[in-house]
Amino acid sequence: MTAVPPQKRSPLIAGLLSTLVPGLGQGFVRRVYRGVAILLATLVVTGMVAWYGHPAWYFAPAGMWLWNIWDAASLAGGQPRTILIPVIFGLAAAYGIGWQVVGVNFAAASLDRALAVARPMIHPDLIERASDKNSMWTPVYVPCPLTGSSPVAQREHEGMVASATPNCGGPTDELTLSVSGMWPDTDTQIWWNTAIGDTNLLGGVNGNSMLVVRTDANGSLTTTIHVPLNILMAQPDKTLTLEHQIFFDQYHYTGGYRISYNGGYAIKGMLETVTMALMATLLGIILAIPISFLAARNLMSGNPITFAIYVIVRTILNIVRSIEAIILAIIFVVITGLGPFAGVLALAFHSVAALAKLYSEVIEGIDPGPIEAIRATGANWVQVVRYGVIPQIIPPFTSFTIYRWDINVRSATVIGMVGGGGIGLYLIQWIQNNQLRAVSAAFIAIAVVVILLDFLSAKVRERLV
Amino acid sequence: MLRVENLTKIYPGGTQALKNVSFEVKDGEFLVIIGLSGSGKSTLLRCINRLIEPTEGKITWDERDITAASPKELLKIRRNIGMVFQQFNLVKRSSVMTNVLSGRLGYANPWLSVLGIWLSADRERAIKALERVGIGDKASSRADALSGGQQQRVGIARALMQEPRIVLADEPVASLDPVLSHSILQYLEQLNKDGITVLCSLHFLDLVHRYATRVIALKDGVLVFEGLPQEINRAKFKEIYGEEAQEVRATSFEAPA
Ligand SMILES: Nc1ncnc2c1ncn2[C@@H]1O[C@H](COP(=O)(O)OP(=O)(O)OP(=O)(O)O)[C@@H](O)[C@H]1O
Ligand SMILES: [Mg+2]
Repeated sequence: MTAVPPQKRSPLIAGLLSTLVPGLGQGFVRRVYRGVAILLATLVVTGMVAWYGHPAWYFAPAGMWLWNIWDAASLAGGQPRTILIPVIFGLAAAYGIGWQVVGVNFAAASLDRALAVARPMIHPDLIERASDKNSMWTPVYVPCPLTGSSPVAQREHEGMVASATPNCGGPTDELTLSVSGMWPDTDTQIWWNTAIGDTNLLGGVNGNSMLVVRTDANGSLTTTIHVPLNILMAQPDKTLTLEHQIFFDQYHYTGGYRISYNGGYAIKGMLETVTMALMATLLGIILAIPISFLAARNLMSGNPITFAIYVIVRTILNIVRSIEAIILAIIFVVITGLGPFAGVLALAFHSVAALAKLYSEVIEGIDPGPIEAIRATGANWVQVVRYGVIPQIIPPFTSFTIYRWDINVRSATVIGMVGGGGIGLYLIQWIQNNQLRAVSAAFIAIAVVVILLDFLSAKVRERLV
Repeated sequence: MLRVENLTKIYPGGTQALKNVSFEVKDGEFLVIIGLSGSGKSTLLRCINRLIEPTEGKITWDERDITAASPKELLKIRRNIGMVFQQFNLVKRSSVMTNVLSGRLGYANPWLSVLGIWLSADRERAIKALERVGIGDKASSRADALSGGQQQRVGIARALMQEPRIVLADEPVASLDPVLSHSILQYLEQLNKDGITVLCSLHFLDLVHRYATRVIALKDGVLVFEGLPQEINRAKFKEIYGEEAQEVRATSFEAPA
């Protein structure tokens, strides 16, 4: 600190100068740094309000300006004023403007929407009750052809017979469905599969729920439905007759649970993610070990050339490390195309930089004493490395590597979202298709693996250090 | 017989740590090197097994010229010169057994030793060495789980593995309390009685009087005294350590004989 005592000057002149230009009065009483700081701070805050802020925020630079006059006048009398006041003004302006820029809007977060997301997520699509399935379908024609008649809407399959009467119809027309030869006394789900493979439900009001009818003791059922209202909506030529299908599905719960279809993908994706992280870490280790020796100060500071290499390597490592793996992934997706390979390369790139830095710090921390002692026994240099160096660096290397793998698994989940493969790839698709139950399953898979890995890596590292 | 002639060491920074030092050590001596901190004791000891390369001068051992030895010969020479350090210099994360076995590296098959494979004869020798310094039960402990005195005993056991004819001890007891100091020095004394030449640097004069058979003193890299321990009287002490020096005793306990 410059502990020059403020010189006694006229408070009036100091105040006036600071009124004209903030900080000038402080400069006048020889507190140049203080003056410059006040000038810069006032300018910055004024600029901020001018660029982003509501004019009301001008109270902040105004407050700072008034304080500055008071401070200048007091300073001339030898008494500085607390800088807490302008700091509070400055922070208030910064925070208020920040609020405006970010667009904080609590009203936008509606409870209904939150519940709409949360409800399906309570039932993750990960496991389901194990069941056998018995399925049958019959064709039906929409709309009825203008000339001639459509083929018979009846189908026989493995002793089961299903039919629709009449065999054709337009939207909202009533059809009678019957099926025989299915499992007796079993709830049967009846649904419409359009010509282009869309699912339409047939129960409730206007088909807002699944139609379920129970078969009789002979395995037959008969029921009436209405052709879905919007059935022709996606059809450019609304007079063209197309074959649709009506499905009859029966399930027998066989006891126990099994992994559901989407759950299988969640697990497969998670395995892919863990493998990606493993591959990336392995690649990282292989490249990081030689690089770390070049980045170790104690090894490289011997002469100017090696020291220059050290500085260059360190700089490159710092730059690469500062780029998030996900950004690298976006670049590698462009280079190698979508898929896990891009993700592995991105993670490996980042891991090399991170590991090389950690490894080099381990090498810098090697105790020269044991090395000297091993040399003194008449050991050759390979033996010196094996008995004096490696025992010192292997445990911390291993510890850092496991930690890196742990980080890579986390990163890999996110990297999938930009096309880098693994669970992220499925997750982003499920989010976009609003398959929230599958999203929930993916969350569970991620959480389980991350927590497990976290626990294991902590345990292993504890033992190594 | 170890003969040091006109030994000079100038470090890359320009520090002249040893200036024209000459002396002789006969087989079976317990030679103590004294001198102020920075006087060059460690440098001198490390020049003898060439952990530090001397700048000038000649060191011969039984007509073998250590200073002129080829790298291969040097390894052979080193394995007969045990070394004990102030900071013990054990590999802390390795087991006591591995630390002791590493003293055998100069004899072991290089390939097998790199794979961590040791002859059972070497393992037995290691156990014997540990038993000799009274810690046979610690073989499987991690080195840093031991107390300072125990670690130094591991250091001595490691040196014993070399079947040394000379032991260089660089302030072996400076990190230990006075009672432990005597116990460690008694192990060195025992080795000395078994016929091993000991070169040991020490700080405390009472220890010097108790253990040395002969003493040399360094001051700023120059040999300023060579003689029997009894010859270090007040005047000599002032000469070696400077006018203001006061003698500090390691302990008021007399070591058990
Ligand atoms: N590696 C080195 N590089 C440069 N100078 C060194 C080095 N090692 C020691 N020196 C210097 O050489 C001189 C002698 O040091 P040395 O370690 O041999 O003294 P010492 O008598 O063992 O001292 P101490 O009792 O403190 O261990 C000191 O001035 C020291 O600063
Ligand atoms: Mg020393």
